[in-house]
Amino acid sequence: MTIQTKLPEFKTDEMVINLGPQHPATHGVLRLILTLDGEVVKHTEPVLGHLHRAQEWQGQNRTWFQYQALIDRVDYLSGMFTSWALSRAAEVIDGTEVPRRAEFLRVLCAELNRISSHLLWLGTYLIDLGALYGFPFYPFIEREKILTFFEEISGQRMMYNYIRIGGVQRDPKAEWFKKVEEFTKDFPKRVDEWEAIVTENPIFLNRTKGIGVLTKEVAQAYGVTGPTLRASGIDFDLRRFKPYSVYPELKFDVPVYNKDGDTWDRYMARIQEMRQSIEIIKQVLDMIPEGEIMSKKQNAGLRIKAGEGFAAVESPRGILGCYITSNGSDKPYRFRWRNPSFSNLSVLPPLLEERPISDIMAIFGSLDIILPDVDR
Amino acid sequence: MFNLIGSAINGVKHALGGLYQVKRGLETVAMHTWREPTTEAYPDKAPELPPHFRGRLALTVNPETGENLCISCRQCERVCPDKCIEITANKSTETNKLELIDFKIDHGLCMFCGLCTEVCPTYCIINTNDFEMADYTRSSLIYDLKKLTLTQEESAYYFAAKEMPLPKPKPAKPAAPAAGAAAAKPAAEAKPTATVSPKPAPESAKAPETTADKPAKEVEKKESPSTDTPSVN
Amino acid sequence: MKIDGTVVRGDHFSGNIAEIRKFAVMSLSWLTVIFVAVWGVCWALGIFIPMCLANSSFDFAAILSEVCKALTPIAAVLVFIPINAMFMVLMERRALALFTRRNGPNRVGPDGALQTAADAVKLLLKEDITPTGADALMFTLAPIIFFAPSIFGALPLLAAVTNNHKLFQIVDLPTGIFYVLAASSVPVVGIVMGGWASNNKYSLMGGLRSAAQAISYEIPLVLSLVTICLLAGTLDVVSIAYQQSGGLLNWNILGGGALIGLNKAIAALVSSSGAPFAEVMNAYYPYGWLSFVGAAVLCMCTVILFGVYLIGACAEINRIPFDLPEAESELVSGYNTEYSGIKFAIFFLAEFTNLFIVSTIAVVMFLGSGDCPLPTWLNPLSYPAVYEPLAKALSPVLSVLINDLHLINPPTFWAALWVIFKTYSLIFFAILVRGTLPRFRIDQLMDFGWKRLIPITLVIFVLVAFARGVINFHV
Ligand code: SF4
Ligand code: SF4
Repeated sequence: MTIQTKLPEFKTDEMVINLGPQHPATHGVLRLILTLDGEVVKHTEPVLGHLHRAQEWQGQNRTWFQYQALIDRVDYLSGMFTSWALSRAAEVIDGTEVPRRAEFLRVLCAELNRISSHLLWLGTYLIDLGALYGFPFYPFIEREKILTFFEEISGQRMMYNYIRIGGVQRDPKAEWFKKVEEFTKDFPKRVDEWEAIVTENPIFLNRTKGIGVLTKEVAQAYGVTGPTLRASGIDFDLRRFKPYSVYPELKFDVPVYNKDGDTWDRYMARIQEMRQSIEIIKQVLDMIPEGEIMSKKQNAGLRIKAGEGFAAVESPRGILGCYITSNGSDKPYRFRWRNPSFSNLSVLPPLLEERPISDIMAIFGSLDIILPDVDR
Repeated sequence: MFNLIGSAINGVKHALGGLYQVKRGLETVAMHTWREPTTEAYPDKAPELPPHFRGRLALTVNPETGENLCISCRQCERVCPDKCIEITANKSTETNKLELIDFKIDHGLCMFCGLCTEVCPTYCIINTNDFEMADYTRSSLIYDLKKLTLTQEESAYYFAAKEMPLPKPKPAKPAAPAAGAAAAKPAAEAKPTATVSPKPAPESAKAPETTADKPAKEVEKKESPSTDTPSVN
Repeated sequence: MKIDGTVVRGDHFSGNIAEIRKFAVMSLSWLTVIFVAVWGVCWALGIFIPMCLANSSFDFAAILSEVCKALTPIAAVLVFIPINAMFMVLMERRALALFTRRNGPNRVGPDGALQTAADAVKLLLKEDITPTGADALMFTLAPIIFFAPSIFGALPLLAAVTNNHKLFQIVDLPTGIFYVLAASSVPVVGIVMGGWASNNKYSLMGGLRSAAQAISYEIPLVLSLVTICLLAGTLDVVSIAYQQSGGLLNWNILGGGALIGLNKAIAALVSSSGAPFAEVMNAYYPYGWLSFVGAAVLCMCTVILFGVYLIGACAEINRIPFDLPEAESELVSGYNTEYSGIKFAIFFLAEFTNLFIVSTIAVVMFLGSGDCPLPTWLNPLSYPAVYEPLAKALSPVLSVLINDLHLINPPTFWAALWVIFKTYSLIFFAILVRGTLPRFRIDQLMDFGWKRLIPITLVIFVLVAFARGVINFHV
C-alpha cells in the first residue's frame, strides 16, 4: 500500500463557447467562438457573414437611382453617411458641382446622424455593461427627436435616401431649422446629465479604465478608424485630414486622446464628438445660404459619366469609403465599399486575449460595430 | 507606517469620492421622475406624421373632378427596385390613349423607398401617412386599383400637404370605362377595406378608400367599412 | 473634458404629477390589498377559528385550535409572498418607468395595476420545458430549493415586525437572526443546482458565479449583523426590535444604542421632571469625553455597517449592481436561461421575496423595526397619545373589533405601518439603484468583497467591541 502524497491531478480543459449569433449583446448577428479557460478568454474567432446581403453585387444590378435608395441599409444607424459616400464618389466621377446650400444641408444632416448613431451606441453600451433598466432610455429619448427631424425631411426614420447624387432631396422648411436649433440648445444639458450619471461612476470606471487597451501600433496595423482610433491617440479625422464638403469653413475640435486608448477613452471620445457635432450644427444653422439644393436631375435615367472614383466620409464608426467604376450607363459597373466596422471588428481578437468573459461585452461594445456594416 | 496611513487616507478619499459620484448619479436619475413621460400613447392617440412620411402607397384622384390621375406611363413600374408594381393597361381604340385597367402594388414586397412617387409625372402615386397595414395573409397585402385609389378629399389633403401642383383640368371625360373595367376584374377577392385612412385627413377620416371610381358625392361616410364594399360596384 | 462637480439637476420641472399620483395610488391600493389579505388569513386561522372552537364540545377542538394557531405564521407567509412579489414587480416597473420618462405598464386593469397578475397567470399557463440532456430531477428541485428558504427564513421576523403579536410569538426563536441568516444562505445551492442541471454552459457559469459571489458576500453581511448583535447583546430579533423603540436616536443605525443615554437625557430636559440632564448623561456616559468619543465612533461604525449590509444584501440576492449570475449581456440569462413557465416563475418570485426579506432584516436590525422615527419627547403623535383619544371616540365600533373579535390590534397595526413604510422605501431605493448603476465585473466583485468589505467589517467589529466598553447600554 502506498501513501499518496500528491493531490490527484485535476484535468482541466478549455471550454469552447459560442457567443452568438443569437445572443442578447452582440448587436446583431455576430458569432464569436470563444475558447475559455475558466472565465478567461484564450482565443477568439469572429465568424462573419450572417448578415451578408451582397450590397456591392446589388449595386451593380440596379440603376444609380435605385441603388441610392438601398444604400442606407448598409449602415442602418447612419444612413446619411453611406448615401453621402456614394454621392461623393459619383460626383467625383461625374464632376458634378454640388450647390452650397446642399452641402450645408448634408453636413447638418450628417452631424445630426452622427449624434443619433452615438446616442444609440451610448444606450446599448450601458446595457452591455449591465445598466439595463434605467439609463439607456435617456439617450434614446434624444435620439427619437433626431429621428423625427429626419422623418420630416426625408420621410423615414432610418432609411433616409436624403443625400442624393448632385445634392439633397428636399429643402427643409424654416420651422425645421428652428426645431433643430432648439434641439442644439437643449442637447448639451442632456449630455451633462448623462455624464453625471455615467462618466465618473466608480463601477463604470472599474469596468472601463484600463480595459481593452488598444495601442497605436495595433490600431494602425488593423486599419482601425473613427473615434476608436482617435481614442488611441492618433489624430486622424477625414473632416480635418482631407477636408471635404464645407468642413474647412467650420470650426470644431476633433477629440483625440493622447495615449493608448482604453474603453473609457473610446466612450469619452464619442461623448466629446457629440458635443463637437452640436457645435458644427450651430455653425451650419448660422451659415447656411439660400439657393438651389440639387444640381442633377433625379429621375430613373440618372447616369454618371464613364470613369472611376473613390470618395470617403468620416462616418460615426470611421472612414466609410466608396469606390465606383462607371461605364456611362445607368447602372454602375463595379462597386466596392470600405466599411469602418469591418476593420474595427478585426481588432477584437487581440483585444480579448486573456480577458475575463465579462470584459468581452465591455470591449466589443466600445468598438461600436454594426453588423450589417461588417457583412454588407 | 506612514505609507500605510497614507494609503488608508487615500482609500477613504477614493471611497468617499466614489460614493459621491454614485449619489450624484442616483440623484440625477431620481430627478427624472419630475419630467413628463415621452411615451407616445400610440393606439389611443395617432402619431402626428410629417406630410412627406413614406407610408402606404396610394393613387390620388383629381381633387376637383375625381378622375384618376394615372396616365399609365409605367414609370413607377420601371423604377421600382423591388418590382412590386404591376400595371395593366390597354390602348383604347377611340382615343388612342392608354386606359388604366388595373394597378397592383404588393405592399409585402415594397420597401417604401418612395422612388415611384418621385418619378410619377402626374403626382398620381403617392406615399400616404397610413402605416397600419398589418394583415393575416400575404395576398391581402397586394392592393388593387380599388383599394389604392384615394377619395377626393384625401387627394385634396395630400396635394395640399405635400405641396404638389394641382393637376390641370383635363377635357371632361367620364371615368366610366375605367370603373367598368375595374368592376369586371374579380375585385371581390380583395378583402373589405379595413385599412385606416390617413390620420390628418379632415372629415374623410372614416371614409374607406374604395370609392374613387365614383364621384365622391355619392359616397356616404359609413362607420363600418365592411358594409360599404357592396355599395361601390 | 468638462465634468462639473455638481449634480446636474433637471431643468424643466414641468411636473409629472399625474404619473406620480398614479404610482402612489397604485402602490397604496396594492399594499392595502396585500396586508388586509394577509391579516385576514391570520386572523381567521389564528383567532377566529380557535374562538369558535373554544365553545364547542367535541374532543379534538383544543388540539385543532392549537394546530390552527401554529399554522398561522406559515399561512401568513404563504399568502403574503405571491401577492407581494406581484406588487413588487409592478412597483419596480412603474418606478423605473418614472425614472426613465415612460408610462410603464398601463393596459391591464386600472392604470395597469393588474399587469403582473396577468403576467403571473401567463407564466403559469406556459409550457414547462426541460431541455434535452438536463438532469430532470435536479432541474425541478432547483427552483424549490431556491424558494423554500425564503418562506421559512422569514418566519422569525414576523414577531419582530408586528410588535410581538401573540399569534407570531410561536416562531420567535431566541436565536432568531442566526436562523434567518442560516436560511438565507441556502438558496445559492438552488442556483448552482439549476445552473448545473440545465446542461447549458451559460447556466453553469451563472450558477458557479453565484456560488462564488454568495459565499464571499455572506461574510461581510453576517459580520455586519453580528456586530449589531454584539451591541444589542442578543440574537433575538424581537428584543433587538424592542431595544430600538423610542425614536431615531435609539435605532441601531445610530450607534446601536449608544445614543440611548442622550435620548433619555434630552427627554429629561424636555419634560423637566425626573432626573436632571447631567445625571442621566453621567449614568450612560461614565467616562466623560472618552465616552463621547466612543459614542461617536459607534455611530460612524453603525452607519458604515448599514452600508456594508446593504451592499452585501444586494450581492446576496443578485440585484444590480451585483447581478452577475444572470448577467444578461454576458451569460444570456445566467442560471435561469433554460427555465420557463412555472419554474421560472418560482425563481422570479423567490428573487423578489428575497429582496423583501433583506429589506425587512435591515429595517428590524438597523432602522428600529416598527418604531416611529421621531423621539418620544418630540413626538406628540406617538402611539398612546394618538391612540387614547381616538380609541375613546371610536370605542363603540372599535371595542368590538379590538376587544371582542381581536381583529385590530393597535400596537401591531401601528408597528406594521412603520415597517411597511420603511421596507418599501428601502425597496424603492434598490429600484433606483437598479435604474442607475452598471454591473460589476466578477473579479472586481470578489476583490471588493474580500479586500474591502471584509477588512472593513472586521476592523469595525474590533472597534465596536472596544467602544462598547466606555458606554453604558440599556441601563
Ligand atoms: S415605394 Fe419603392 S419599393 Fe415601394 S412600390 Fe414604390 S418604388 Fe417600389
Ligand atoms: S408613374 Fe404615375 S402616371 Fe405613370 S403609371 Fe405610375 S402612377 Fe401612373
